[in-house]
Amino acid sequence: MNSKLTRENVIRWAPALVLLGLVVLFTAINPAFLTQRNLARIALAATPPMMVALGVTFIIVMGSIDLSMEGAVSLCAVLFCLIFLKLGGSLGAGAWLAIPAILICGALYGLLTGYVHVRLQIPSFMASLAMGFVGTGAAVLVTGGDIVRINDDVFRALLTWRILGFPLMVHIAILLILLAWFIQNHTTLGRNFYAVGGGEELAHASGVNVRRVRLAGFALAGVFYAIAAIFQVARLGQAESVTGANLMFIAITSVVVGGVALWGGIGGVLNAVVGVLIVNVIGNGMVVIGLPSYLQDGLLGVLVIIAVVLSTDRRLVSFAK
Amino acid sequence: MSTFIKDFIDHEVMSRRKLLLAGAAGMATMAVPGAFGRGQARAALTDPTIAWSYRDRASAYWNSVLSGGEAFVESIGRSKSDLVSLISEGSSEKSLSDIRTFLARTNGNCAIACDPNDSPNARPIVESVAAAGAYISTIWNKTDDLHPWDFGDNYVSHMTWSDEQPAEQTARILFEAMGGSGGVVHLGGIAANNPAVERLAGLHNALADFPEIELLDAQPADWDTTKAAQLMSSFLTRYGDRITGVHCAADNIAYGVIEALRAEGITDMPIVAYDGNPEAVKLVMDGQLLATVFTNPFWGGGISAALAYHAAIGTFKPSEEPQEHREFYGPTVLITQADAAEFQAQYLDSTPEYDWEDFWGPSNGQIQYR
Repeated sequence: MNSKLTRENVIRWAPALVLLGLVVLFTAINPAFLTQRNLARIALAATPPMMVALGVTFIIVMGSIDLSMEGAVSLCAVLFCLIFLKLGGSLGAGAWLAIPAILICGALYGLLTGYVHVRLQIPSFMASLAMGFVGTGAAVLVTGGDIVRINDDVFRALLTWRILGFPLMVHIAILLILLAWFIQNHTTLGRNFYAVGGGEELAHASGVNVRRVRLAGFALAGVFYAIAAIFQVARLGQAESVTGANLMFIAITSVVVGGVALWGGIGGVLNAVVGVLIVNVIGNGMVVIGLPSYLQDGLLGVLVIIAVVLSTDRRLVSFAK
Repeated sequence: MSTFIKDFIDHEVMSRRKLLLAGAAGMATMAVPGAFGRGQARAALTDPTIAWSYRDRASAYWNSVLSGGEAFVESIGRSKSDLVSLISEGSSEKSLSDIRTFLARTNGNCAIACDPNDSPNARPIVESVAAAGAYISTIWNKTDDLHPWDFGDNYVSHMTWSDEQPAEQTARILFEAMGGSGGVVHLGGIAANNPAVERLAGLHNALADFPEIELLDAQPADWDTTKAAQLMSSFLTRYGDRITGVHCAADNIAYGVIEALRAEGITDMPIVAYDGNPEAVKLVMDGQLLATVFTNPFWGGGISAALAYHAAIGTFKPSEEPQEHREFYGPTVLITQADAAEFQAQYLDSTPEYDWEDFWGPSNGQIQYR
């Protein structure tokens, strides 16, 4: 990337500037917005969608799309609760095994989505959407439409134990963001995502096993969805077949608002992080400044469009698909 | 195509099919049950097939409705599997076409309980059922201008639930717990949903009697636990310590509110909910909720099937019943900390035995239109 051109610089930093602008705007209207407690509330609300957004960023950078997150998160959350309770229902007494178990479940789920997409030659859009429905259906089947609750204080410390005023899960999320950033910039797999997204034929001709990269990408996304599911359960103390509902819209919107291009190869983990923060700051800020609820959805849509316009370089693309 | 022509064609197709079938069976006199005009159905059916038309099996609510229907079917000596499920998946069109197919298949010899999925869909469903000489009871959804007594005996009854009164009761319980003064926030359902509107109206009714209580804010949380948690934490930033009570439009919303408060270390906030789900009843027993409201979907599911079936076999004649037996409100049970344990023992730990011929015992009076 050539960073000498000011125009490129502006576009690269646009999402961060949008975020800063929103913070200034909301604080000017209601100073309570910028209190430590409110920032902790925003961070907490942003944690589960952040994990989903990190997962889907890898896929979008590859030039594919993954719409299976709602089903994946619901199923992982429900299974996590059931395994947790089966193992005694307290983290200290062996139920911690539910965590690696569910990360493996998430990876397998992603692998299966990837397999349907790559092996059966079904476009990722359709394959992942269908797998999302499979996940939701399986969650209904497992729970019979009931809610599964976890009341283990040790596990719930993810929510209740605060370090520097922020819940424990926010700190863990920051570590996971660093991990995702490391995968993207310092591993072969991460570089290959960009190679595939930038030009599949070219990557293939250069000796990259495109199919394997795609499968690995979906499996990696699945692990992040499983982490999101664990955070959702930690935050709400329960799981049901709708635990993952609404995450698809928030995650995809966030990634795009953050400046990751849907045609692949552009943007990355840090864009997704800023995007999730933008969407959550808007959601929290609109309530905090006392905007009437019937205006909130409309305004969210308008702000999203503005943010996308500001954060993507139209000159880099010949057409929008 | 106008509905008149569509109805005429439907009617003719059904009649011809029936004429051919009946002719083959040598019962031409029984051929066209709808031909004597609406409302003049056969005096009674023998051994009608029973069906329940509902949204889906994914929610605890509809599962409960169906269990009630199955309990009724078993009470008349049939097996659970004899109850036909017509699942609309939230589509009004599917609900209507399923019922028409079912009418044709059973030759009108059937009794149907049904949630039409949305209000306008009730009329075509009821008209199809009446034209086929079958019997139907509906719940939740119908337009205000559609009445069972305009269809003779075939449209047996309609039951819905009025949420305003119970939501007002939960609000009063909340205000008492707040000591009659302070600030309250309301987290509602999807803004345009009828129950959401009624549950908020109930809160406003109670506010009139408590001048010291201020309604700080009321916003939709879309019946969603995650959204409720987010909204509650945003409310905490905006109003902080001024919030001394929370009025929730549903149990699902209350779960999110409780967790948002737990994250802040607030454990003594007075909260009321609505729906009477098992988890919420437990929270009432634990003292985390002050009250919730139960609408007894199990009884609703059983009694709707029972009404349609008994009208069909001639146990009673709907047209001879007073109007409050044709359109009525379903039961609502307020659950407070005083009676949560008793409620759990009675309704959740064991299934109560209902007398499925006591059609109107637990109901709540005639439906009022405003």
